Amino acid sequence: MTGLKLSNVRKTYGVLEVIKDVSLEVKPKEFVVFVGPSGCGKSTLLRMIAGLEKITAGDLEIGGKRMNEVEPSKRGIAMVFQSYALYPHLTVRENMGFALRFAGVPKNEIIKQVDAAAQTLELGALMDRRPGELSGGQRQRVAIGRAIVRKPEVFLFDEPLSNLDAELRVHMRIELARLHKSLAATVIYVTHDQVEAMTLADKIVVMRNGLISQVGSPLDVYDNPDNMFVAGFIGSPKINFIKGVVDGVSKSGLTVVLPGYQDAKVTFATKNSSVPVGDSVTVGLRPQHFNTTGKMKFKLNVELVEHLGGESFVYAGNGSGDLITVATQEGRGLKSGQKFDAHIDPAKALLFDANGQRVR
Amino acid sequence: MAQSSGKTTLTGWLFTGPALMLLTFFMVYPILSSLWMSLQVGKGMNFSFGGFANMWRLTQDAVFQKALLNTLTLLVVQVPIMIALAMLLAVALNDPSLKGRALFRTAIFLPCVTSLVAYSVLFKSMFAYDGVVNRFLEALHILDQPIPWLSDTFWAKVLIILAITWRWTGYNMIFFLAALQNIEPSIYEAARIDGIPRWAQFQKITLPALIPVVLFTTVTSTIGTLQLFDEVNNITLGGPANATMTLSLYIYQLSFKFMPSFGYAATVSYVIVVLVMILSFFQFVAARDRRRP
Repeated sequence: MTGLKLSNVRKTYGVLEVIKDVSLEVKPKEFVVFVGPSGCGKSTLLRMIAGLEKITAGDLEIGGKRMNEVEPSKRGIAMVFQSYALYPHLTVRENMGFALRFAGVPKNEIIKQVDAAAQTLELGALMDRRPGELSGGQRQRVAIGRAIVRKPEVFLFDEPLSNLDAELRVHMRIELARLHKSLAATVIYVTHDQVEAMTLADKIVVMRNGLISQVGSPLDVYDNPDNMFVAGFIGSPKINFIKGVVDGVSKSGLTVVLPGYQDAKVTFATKNSSVPVGDSVTVGLRPQHFNTTGKMKFKLNVELVEHLGGESFVYAGNGSGDLITVATQEGRGLKSGQKFDAHIDPAKALLFDANGQRVR
Repeated sequence: MAQSSGKTTLTGWLFTGPALMLLTFFMVYPILSSLWMSLQVGKGMNFSFGGFANMWRLTQDAVFQKALLNTLTLLVVQVPIMIALAMLLAVALNDPSLKGRALFRTAIFLPCVTSLVAYSVLFKSMFAYDGVVNRFLEALHILDQPIPWLSDTFWAKVLIILAITWRWTGYNMIFFLAALQNIEPSIYEAARIDGIPRWAQFQKITLPALIPVVLFTTVTSTIGTLQLFDEVNNITLGGPANATMTLSLYIYQLSFKFMPSFGYAATVSYVIVVLVMILSFFQFVAARDRRRP
């Protein structure tokens, strides 16, 4: 299996720069997910790897070979599209074997490979149907089958589950994870859905405005975000950001006071002294980190409760209009208007400077 | 639904009534009336029932047979050329890398909305013996001597084919363009990644999507050409020596040019109706067979 390397890659359309100096290494057999809001350049980057978009500057290597000017079909990649992009007038069988026909593969070999892929994806009963006669999930499986048959070095997925309904999406997500294990292939997967990113990835690449914001394992990116954007994008419900001011700097750490919350104080064990006293900072608190025993306490009033069955999301405020989201297992009895004390362990809090960068 | 009351039925008839009435007056009545007329013989307004006399006359009428042959010749030669041309132009104009696409589209579509008489007069003068076309071709040394576009039986037909192709290609191209724009671009991208050669992409992705349009444009163009009247009346007047006489022009001349023979003209009209029915039927059958291999 083959890895992939992007070095200082850029993409411009006229004066508009959509990919700004991206460097990234994907190891063989790794499942890498590009995630970010729409317009962040993740799909463009994937299409550049596929060869569907020209690379304005920088180098793309697949398996150690420079691929910038190589035809898409010769890059050793296969791609699954959001819209499935099946050939509408060919049957499932023809769709899956179409590429092999033009790659000079003998007929009986095509049949063998198509049948093998069909078995993996349980497409056996659908082989003589046309794409128009299939459901969304079935079409997506055919699209994946078409990719598998070519035995590519690298699989590229462009938001493959976005057109499916919620239930099917979860089901296909699990199938994809299994498939990755059984094929032991390198996968690059684009999505705007952070749950897909968290569940599927070996490595998450969070993108924003044509730049990589952070690269890391899913839990690493969740626990240890580099900036406010990553902290806000990864994790559901969204992390709470609370404005604060640096109150004191000492050798052991940095104390932040939260004016909106009875001047509560949090101390961060950081050796970083670049943030002077009096500077505005932001404190990030994940909804899931709240509990009933933590040392830090927020006195709040419940505004709204969403019961999901297993857990509840409590949206509570201090009267200023800002709401704090708390995810709790013990929220069943809560009603809006009620007083609500949220506790959290200060060690779980994340600190960001005025520019949104993490202070560690 | 099964127990629709009399009142519901009445409401239904009241809604469809005005349309049905208009259809009856302006469609059904003329069709039946002309069918009755086709069984009448006589000149001017002196009609008498003649039974199948008009149909017998068809078999004896050299001009009718010439007109039928001309019409079918124009049909067989012109429609395929035009449809192929419309498809090619549509594919070319659908290429996003082509600059000035909107301008080309407009330019190619424009002929079918221009004034018929104006363009006919222009064609007549352009293709005259000492017209601009001949002089241009001579200047380029493509021709040694001018082509007698209007006075030669062969070249007159070519001129009519050129004229209707010029006029209707853009119109048909619009349908092909619409069908092409319905094909999702990512399908071609998938084909590029799959390494499908250009010709196979056209054959297996583009062409199948265009088949319904080929059927539609062929049927409408066939009907149009069978009814061809304007160009032949305005450019060649059916000449020379009836070389461009078409069925429609003959009907017109039978009714309004010579001693009016409305009954016989109606019979010739029904020949067109029958031809349209037969050809459309075969075209639909052919298309159905292609769709289910």
